[in-house]
Amino acid sequence: MDRKKTYVKDVSRKVYDIKNKFDYRFKTDRGLTPDIIREISKEKNEPQWMTDFRLKSLEIYNNKPMPTWGVDLSDLDMDDIIAYIRPDADMKHSWDDVPDDIKNTFERLGIPQAERESLAGVGAQYDSEVVYHNIKKELVDQGVVYTDIETALVEYEDILKEYFMKLVPPTDHKFAALHGAVWSGGSFVYVPEGVNVDIPLQSYFRLNAPGAGQFEHTLIIVEKGARLHFIEGCSAPVYNVNNLHAGCVELFVKEDASLRYSTIENWSRNMYNLNTKRALVDKNGTIEWVSGSFGSKVSMLYPMSILQGEGARSEFTGITFASTGQHLDTGTKVVHAAPHTTSTVNSKSISKNGGYAFYRGLLKVAPGAYGCKSSVSCESLMLDNMSKSDTLPIIELNNDDIDIGHEAKIGRISDEAIFYLMSRGISEEEAKAMIVRGFVEPITKELPLEYAVELNNLINIELEGTIG
Amino acid sequence: MKGWKRIGLKDFEFPNILEYHKEYLQIPEDFPETVNLLKSNGGLGVENEHYFNEKALNGIGREFVSLVQEFSNSGISLYLPSKVKIHDPIRLEFAMDEKNPTVLDKNYIVAEAGSEATVIFDYSTDESIRAFHNGMLLVYAKENSTVNIIKVQRMNDKSSNFDTNYAFIEGNGKVNWISVELGSDISGVNYTSYLNEEASQSDLSSIYLGDGLRKMDLSYTMVHRGPRSISNIETRGVLMDKAKKVFRGNLDFKRGARHSTGVEEEYVILLDPTVKSHSIPALLSEEDDVQGEHAASAGQISENKLFYLMSRGLSQRDAKKLIIEASFRPIIEKIAYGDLRSIINGEIERRLINA
Repeated sequence: MDRKKTYVKDVSRKVYDIKNKFDYRFKTDRGLTPDIIREISKEKNEPQWMTDFRLKSLEIYNNKPMPTWGVDLSDLDMDDIIAYIRPDADMKHSWDDVPDDIKNTFERLGIPQAERESLAGVGAQYDSEVVYHNIKKELVDQGVVYTDIETALVEYEDILKEYFMKLVPPTDHKFAALHGAVWSGGSFVYVPEGVNVDIPLQSYFRLNAPGAGQFEHTLIIVEKGARLHFIEGCSAPVYNVNNLHAGCVELFVKEDASLRYSTIENWSRNMYNLNTKRALVDKNGTIEWVSGSFGSKVSMLYPMSILQGEGARSEFTGITFASTGQHLDTGTKVVHAAPHTTSTVNSKSISKNGGYAFYRGLLKVAPGAYGCKSSVSCESLMLDNMSKSDTLPIIELNNDDIDIGHEAKIGRISDEAIFYLMSRGISEEEAKAMIVRGFVEPITKELPLEYAVELNNLINIELEGTIG
Repeated sequence: MKGWKRIGLKDFEFPNILEYHKEYLQIPEDFPETVNLLKSNGGLGVENEHYFNEKALNGIGREFVSLVQEFSNSGISLYLPSKVKIHDPIRLEFAMDEKNPTVLDKNYIVAEAGSEATVIFDYSTDESIRAFHNGMLLVYAKENSTVNIIKVQRMNDKSSNFDTNYAFIEGNGKVNWISVELGSDISGVNYTSYLNEEASQSDLSSIYLGDGLRKMDLSYTMVHRGPRSISNIETRGVLMDKAKKVFRGNLDFKRGARHSTGVEEEYVILLDPTVKSHSIPALLSEEDDVQGEHAASAGQISENKLFYLMSRGLSQRDAKKLIIEASFRPIIEKIAYGDLRSIINGEIERRLINA
């Protein structure tokens, strides 16, 4: 019996595929040598310890093997990836001063409106350095710091020295080492004790130069009892050269603090997105991840929560959408390292037109971490049989006083659900659209309005089909 | 040895392979004369290669599989002609002792269309010896045939157990595995069913009990190739003392396995803070029109249940034992043979005495 398959239209990516003529003042030679690292560090006027850190990371990078599991990285020519490109723009503090063509691109992506309306600050990274930065005065008065990481290295050197790449050390894996050597740009947020940042902070960055790697570093420290919602999103134009994104996100959530970290990663279809994200949560702290993975050729992204304080909590909500030519290997890792910690994982993936979505998860409970609770749920929706969808959750329990539940499901849109909706007078197309929207809703409802709109645009799916 | 790092088995030293002299085969009384049963392995002649490409089977690991392929000292070849049904089970009972401490059994079963049989394997040891079992069982089930396999492993806590099982199933054929893992110091088992044609079916029901220092690596795989194929993995376990267990359940839907259903479940009860329980339930799919589900849960005995039972006058130990037995029961009940059930229940009771 041959059934008519659901037809899902490709996401329109026109606005993301706009490129600017690229114009740079400084560009390192292809490939990586200690001299290039020194040059980068010198160009950025960094302190000696950072230069040494970069050189040490480079050494680790050269000695580490490429990962052999997960995705195929054989097409990735590291020497071809230019480490560092700075756009022809210095740090600006007012929108009017931002160069026109950069502004143009951002405007087409809808950034300024979002900033004007509700967002406290925008750190938009253009190529490797942040070109625009602004933060609301009230927050500054409360002692909240939101700046680019280069500025932070000058103004808050002690804090950076204490936290920078301590959670994700360069020894972690090859791309963390690469990041440590060539990192450039990114955000630094510091929320002092007891401060509640009630409007989300947002940073938006994209890649622009052909062959340019992007290695932005995000460091967020939320002190005792403070609260923050940080949003990071990215989008890049399509180029022929394979692009690499090896960013790093380090989140420190202190006692009773709470951090929600939302990102939508929407890279162009030639991007290797090998990002490392990690959060360290102290006593009674909360980390919430909201993660959307779209675009890119290949992704390896597993945000990790280390619950090191008693009563710490983590929540992960993620969606992955893989289409033609994409292999998105995503998931999350949770380490319960203290008693009475709880975690929730809710992951959804959609694969279509030959896309390959892979959920890879780790849930680990340490020997002394008694009284932990965890619930993991993975759902995969396959829209045709050219696609692939795999789920591989690893559960490692090292004591008995735990309550763990895991569930995973795979399948297509159920005929019964469509039949039921149609029996209520809804057309088949609308019924299918409703089911797909319902499938991703747990994610969209976690996002602020502008992002939800962007996400909905991304999942601009049109369905047509006949009774099967 | 790749894949064994989770139970810390890097360089396993194989013992000397000795002959197994004892009688292990029990043929039922109503055994039909048309059935070909040989107490040797490889006795099905040239047909073997047609059914099983042994070189391609890795089971629990190439080293172990090659060992039993080359040096097997026991096993059967069973050929069931078309439509022959054997009602009583064929039993293989290996009771390892000082003179017969190694069993390398290589077994073949080919079931022609419409045939049916049940084969029971029971591995036990004397209390004091260090026994070694490394077995292989290959089943080829043709159209509408049913093959039931029950394997009970209750070797002592000094012994090692390794076991590789494969089933290749044609249209409407059915292979049911029941695996009872109660003993040995280290145990690695692998069950793989290939559901190759339309409506092929395979069920795997297993229980495991980890006590003492036992290390177990249990791997169950269902490969769906045929449309409308059905698989079901149901595992119940209990871990206590310093036992360590790795559960690997794989549901693999290949392209073309449309309308197939696969369900995989593991429930484990953890009794001591020193246990280690790893679970890796994988769900792989190349076909959209399938239903695949896996669920795993782990935890202690619920205090409410315990309280309720104790309020009815049971001691804590008896209450715990009752809850554990209740968890195992749905699997044990699937075994239709009372004597085997009481052997299993006795062994579980003996091992739970200190719980």
